[in-house]
Amino acid sequence: MRMLRTLLPLLALAGGGPALADQKEADTCLRTKIWSGYDDGWAVRTATSADLGEGEHRIYLVTLYAGHEYKFQVCGDNQIDNVDLVLHDQAGKELSRDASSDREPVLTYKPQKTDTYYVAVYAADVSDQAKGAKAGVAMAVTYR
Amino acid sequence: MVLAVALAVVGCDDGAETPAPAEKAPAAGQAEAPAKAPPPPKSFDAGTLKADAETIALVPSPAEMEKALSGAGIDAKLGEMIKDRDIKMDVDNKDQIAVRTGVVLADLVLTVKDADKAQVLARLNRLKAGFEKLGAGTDVQATIDELATQVDNDAITRDKLLQEMDELSGVMVPELEYEAGEWVVPLIHAGSWLEGAHLVSGALKAEGKYNAADAMLKQPAVVDYFIKYVNREGGDKAPDEVVKRLRETLNTLKEVAAKPTLGQEEVETIHSSTGAVLSML
Repeated sequence: MRMLRTLLPLLALAGGGPALADQKEADTCLRTKIWSGYDDGWAVRTATSADLGEGEHRIYLVTLYAGHEYKFQVCGDNQIDNVDLVLHDQAGKELSRDASSDREPVLTYKPQKTDTYYVAVYAADVSDQAKGAKAGVAMAVTYR
Repeated sequence: MVLAVALAVVGCDDGAETPAPAEKAPAAGQAEAPAKAPPPPKSFDAGTLKADAETIALVPSPAEMEKALSGAGIDAKLGEMIKDRDIKMDVDNKDQIAVRTGVVLADLVLTVKDADKAQVLARLNRLKAGFEKLGAGTDVQATIDELATQVDNDAITRDKLLQEMDELSGVMVPELEYEAGEWVVPLIHAGSWLEGAHLVSGALKAEGKYNAADAMLKQPAVVDYFIKYVNREGGDKAPDEVVKRLRETLNTLKEVAAKPTLGQEEVETIHSSTGAVLSML
């Protein structure tokens, strides 16, 4: 349970915008998901965080092994209403996207081929109170 | 996602007095206004993906590499293949310290379930020394101290310790800020990946299962990522034989990864070239 200890100061320092984001909420949410995943055989590749305004995105390059099951999990803070997760192959073809319209999207994927892929995290809808500001968004890549 | 706008306009919790448009009743004689159309789902083109991609999640962990081996029907336990060596942090070159730290981290993750207490404690101490030299701050050192105390007092199960190490390597290490610079994380990753690739290629050799090599070891983007940081401008220019060998090894791995498929020759090249670096630590 050490991630929080290290991520929180970093999250607080994360730059950009009038950061009224309750990033602790996003981090705590993600940490809880990661740790509960261990009970079901999931392990963590990495977790990271960002501040996103509405319409902004982060894109992560990931190496995925054929045969593994991957779960991409996001927690947004209370300033964001809808975060989208989109997975693309190396050529940019969209493979999958989350079907939710909330701030905790999850995407699972089992690649047929070991390769690099792109995961896009997109702030689709920031809450009315936070328009023009940034929201804290944390993302984890887990596998089993 | 298509419900996003509708959901977003339903009320506010700050006492705002203006009712959301969706809650307005139509005036008498007026037809109800059509709901605001939701924005189309965001799409990303290949150029945007390539230009904006961050690499923090690019490199698979040694534990993930071992799992991939198992998935390919190869029963080798990488932890049992690790040489019992003491990788000290008594060098000046920071690039080399980062690589050493990554190797120790990999060894810890791969052996934590079965190694004896003294080995685990020794590796935790080396890990702590590496982070200290890299200027990783006191949090990670306190975390390692806490883990070491728990191990020493038999106050933590090995399964739980594995989870802690998994999180330390996958979450804490990439998020730390290092006095030495942002290149530290890639080179820690390089150390861990080199150890993993060496062990995996050794396992493939031992079982002659070269047909699994593409799925296990063909990772050109990972190699390019390491090369970028080893060859960075402003890098540690002090002559260093380990870094020089690392650079040579990465160039060899780049050539290997560019081949259409990997077979016995390529696996042996990976094993020997990664071993050439690791044996110098």
